[in-house]
Amino acid sequence: MSEQALSGLADAFNEALAEGRLMIQSCNDCGKPNMWPRYRCPYCQSADLGWKEASGKGTLVSYSVVRAVPPKGFEDQLPYALGVIRLEEGVQLLARLEGDSEDGFDDYECDAAVSFSPHPAEEMRDRPVAWFGLDSGEGP
Amino acid sequence: MPDAAGLSFEPGSPRDPVFIGVGELESGRFPDRSFIGALTEVAMRALDDAAMKPADVDTIVLIPNLHSFDDQADLIFSRMVEELGLSREAKSSFMVHSGGSTSDNAVRVVSGLINSGHAETVLVLQAERWGSADLSEMVTMLTANGIPQEWERASGLTFNAVGGLITQRYMYETKSTPEEMASVCVALRKWAQLNPNAMYRDRELTVEKVLESKMITDPLHALECPPLADGAAAFVMTTAENARGRRDAAVRIAGSGGCVSHYTIAQETDLATMGWKVAGDRAWAQSGWKPEDLDFAEVYDSYAAVTTIASEKLGLCADGEGARWFASGATSPGGDFPMNTNGGLLSAGHTGVGGGMALLIEGVRQLLWAAEPERQIDEPRKCLIGGTGGTYMDAQVLLLERTEQGGN
Repeated sequence: MSEQALSGLADAFNEALAEGRLMIQSCNDCGKPNMWPRYRCPYCQSADLGWKEASGKGTLVSYSVVRAVPPKGFEDQLPYALGVIRLEEGVQLLARLEGDSEDGFDDYECDAAVSFSPHPAEEMRDRPVAWFGLDSGEGP
Repeated sequence: MPDAAGLSFEPGSPRDPVFIGVGELESGRFPDRSFIGALTEVAMRALDDAAMKPADVDTIVLIPNLHSFDDQADLIFSRMVEELGLSREAKSSFMVHSGGSTSDNAVRVVSGLINSGHAETVLVLQAERWGSADLSEMVTMLTANGIPQEWERASGLTFNAVGGLITQRYMYETKSTPEEMASVCVALRKWAQLNPNAMYRDRELTVEKVLESKMITDPLHALECPPLADGAAAFVMTTAENARGRRDAAVRIAGSGGCVSHYTIAQETDLATMGWKVAGDRAWAQSGWKPEDLDFAEVYDSYAAVTTIASEKLGLCADGEGARWFASGATSPGGDFPMNTNGGLLSAGHTGVGGGMALLIEGVRQLLWAAEPERQIDEPRKCLIGGTGGTYMDAQVLLLERTEQGGN
């Protein structure tokens, strides 16, 4: 793997988001998935790391709705929901949650099935973050 | 990790590291109280409490502040050595930092310095001006620090949302109700009302008031989020030999345990346990103590669930019953097992890295039987201090015990 600046670690992940795909860093030696991206595989310390596309299916470990006191630049997003997602590949990530059927967040509960929800490229370039919604139960 | 070795400190040995004095300033909003002035005042209070003068100190350990990098630089570059008249007398002045668990790690560092002979008497100093700082600036600073910029920052995560994520999972797993969670905050307020240094000592709190307050980050209401406060705290540690004759007792370390479980909150694989079970088991193994040996505990409580999770996983109460245990009054003044007797971060005030420091010195003060009479527990001898930093990245446990002078 070539040397890269710290800010480049998630480039491949972010570029894929803009293309509507969710990627997981994965070790080319031991094969284990790893999230978030790191310089060495945390399991075997190999520097030979690549990327694999995720299924986009997971469960909602927990969630919270930010209704007040946001960081600077997020005032116009209120209220917004954040969730810790455990992907079926076994890794976890923090994601934004789509509004539910009532455009609120009342339908969410811990351990609910959720799936990746691609957002427009322009939005992902401005604010690269994976979005998830409640799983409709339909196949991909 | 290899099995924990026992500590090399022996009760009664001349170089057993002990706490001999503590000092504290009132927590709250004090825009006119200067940072260095507060540090100097709290240093003198701790030294007076230890029956010492600055010249008795050979090493100063600084606990960081989070309100200003300029003030941080003053700490790092030894301003307090000059302020206390210790130029050329002090051997060493430096900072220890692991966020909210700093004071616990500072105790490890300082006890090692003393036991090994690298230091004789160490003054540990902390001051914070979170209460006087601009709230939105502090929120943005907290969002920019400890939340990885190249990964989670674009999500809009805040520390109150981290508290929300933990609380949501905890309530789901334990079936704790909003009323039971709110009652943890009410139990803490009862202790704060007995603490003259607590930010909210004069404000009564009820479950209804908590649940009527604005929702900030579901399921946390405004009155379940920690109030940012100014504050200052200090303690003095020395050898058992130096401590002898200065006061009727000192406080020694029976053991410690720790577990660093994650950096980012989304990487924690068990949000309703975190590092507490492992840290507790390591501390029990090192000390030979059991939870039943304790008289009270002081455990980090920036959100109610942080404390209830720790209480359960450390075996202070039944698993899954933490919130209901607090709601029962068991931990409140007059209860069977006092917890967070200064009112905790939620009611005494969140003084940044000082929140854990305030709990630590409250534990030492109770073991010295030196708290104000209305708050003093009846002659306690053993306590647990629990701390955690960042996004609850670690769980740190100290087991402390009273030791009488000349009794060893």
